[in-house]
Amino acid sequence: MKNLPGKLLLLSVVAAIAATAQAASEQPTPERDKEVFENRFKERFPDVAREEFANGVYAIDPIGRESWEAIEEFPPYELFIDDGKEMWDAPFANGKTYKDCFADGPGIAHKYPHWDKEQGMVMTLPLALNQCRESQGEKPLKYKKGSINNILSYIAMESRGEVTNVVIPEDDPRALDAYEKGKKFYYTRRGQLNFACAACHVQNPGMKIRSDMLSPALGQTTHFPVYRSKWGTIGTLHRRFTGCNKQVRAKPFKAQGEEYRNLEYFLTYMSNGLTLNGPGARK
Amino acid sequence: MNMKKMTAMLCLGAIVAIAGQSVFAAEKQAAPKAEAADKAAAKSPESSGDNAAAEAAIAAAESARKKAASVDGEWRDTGKMIKKAQAALKAGDSAKAIKLAKKAEKQGKLGYEQAQAQQTLKMPSYLKY
Ligand code: HEC
Repeated sequence: MKNLPGKLLLLSVVAAIAATAQAASEQPTPERDKEVFENRFKERFPDVAREEFANGVYAIDPIGRESWEAIEEFPPYELFIDDGKEMWDAPFANGKTYKDCFADGPGIAHKYPHWDKEQGMVMTLPLALNQCRESQGEKPLKYKKGSINNILSYIAMESRGEVTNVVIPEDDPRALDAYEKGKKFYYTRRGQLNFACAACHVQNPGMKIRSDMLSPALGQTTHFPVYRSKWGTIGTLHRRFTGCNKQVRAKPFKAQGEEYRNLEYFLTYMSNGLTLNGPGARK
Repeated sequence: MNMKKMTAMLCLGAIVAIAGQSVFAAEKQAAPKAEAADKAAAKSPESSGDNAAAEAAIAAAESARKKAASVDGEWRDTGKMIKKAQAALKAGDSAKAIKLAKKAEKQGKLGYEQAQAQQTLKMPSYLKY
């Protein structure tokens, strides 16, 4: 037993060498991943224009689209935007506002997620908002439900028309590593039902499970936060990730934990070039 | 191989070794709980044998669950089953506790195997590289 760390060390050196050799052989670049990914949807839905994928399942479901368009005439997320604007403008206890953290705000959604070199991690908008709050002596907001969605709605609205443009900087290998982890997560089968994210949203978009048509993964990140009729309210992207993990009976991960942030980094990168159109409304 | 690479690998090795140790540490933590339960079970002589078996089954389930979690492979309901098993044991139904714990242990093992089987990412064939 005393020898164990030593043995583990030896073993892991061997494993590390094997891993290096394998990584060197062929790891597709993110650009290549994206090309192959997009081709999948082009082939599967040849009549759907690329921009249309930003409308989620309604790009491929004409019946659902009818009711969606009717809903969008009186958007259920409007009140949240108003509340979010109030939050944005209201001074913190110290007299400062969000603007003191985000000088170029409020239309900043297209700058996230991004690689934060200083902190060595993927920075998402909700996390950046909470880091701002904490730096101003305020309590952080919850990441799935509640008022974080108000300010996210306002920022999303103000960012409409901006284009998804996730960058994986080459001067920091940890960024590519985070992307690869997110990709691995996406294609890993999980839970009692043994499904990967990709099985539903890349392999089988357009198929129905129960009463839901599966949306294509391409364009899935453009419109958050989203008002879901099923939730009866608005929720974050990580709340959605949680739901999708749970429905295959996998234990969900922490909202804004490393796993979901890396996943967001990968998934949003796949939608690079698509226009932001949040907040959204979905069934 | 140059020195830089060598150092990097040794560092990696150390990290893996430390991670390995902490898994053992986590497993050890489960032990005192089991002991306490044994003592509690000893108080009611008629059911002490069953209680000890249930307690052991729950400890085994918990360690299987943790092992699955350590590779991000935990399933949704495993923790809930273990809680229910604990509640059943408390309520004196050790047969039910054992049944639930066994089920949870199986889930933990399967979740671990599921994750291990996918250690290296294989892209699905419907994606055309
Ligand atoms: C068993 C099938 C299934 C799996 C596996 C699955 N999802 Fe989903 N997902 C759904 C369904 C059903 C919906 C709701 C309808 C839709 O938009 O596709 C949905 C919706 C979503 C949405 C919202 C789309 C929108 O337009 O608002 C996102 C984002 C998403 N899933 C991501 C993921 C991720 C990431 C994973 C892996 C962690 C995953 N899903 C795994 C079935 C699945």
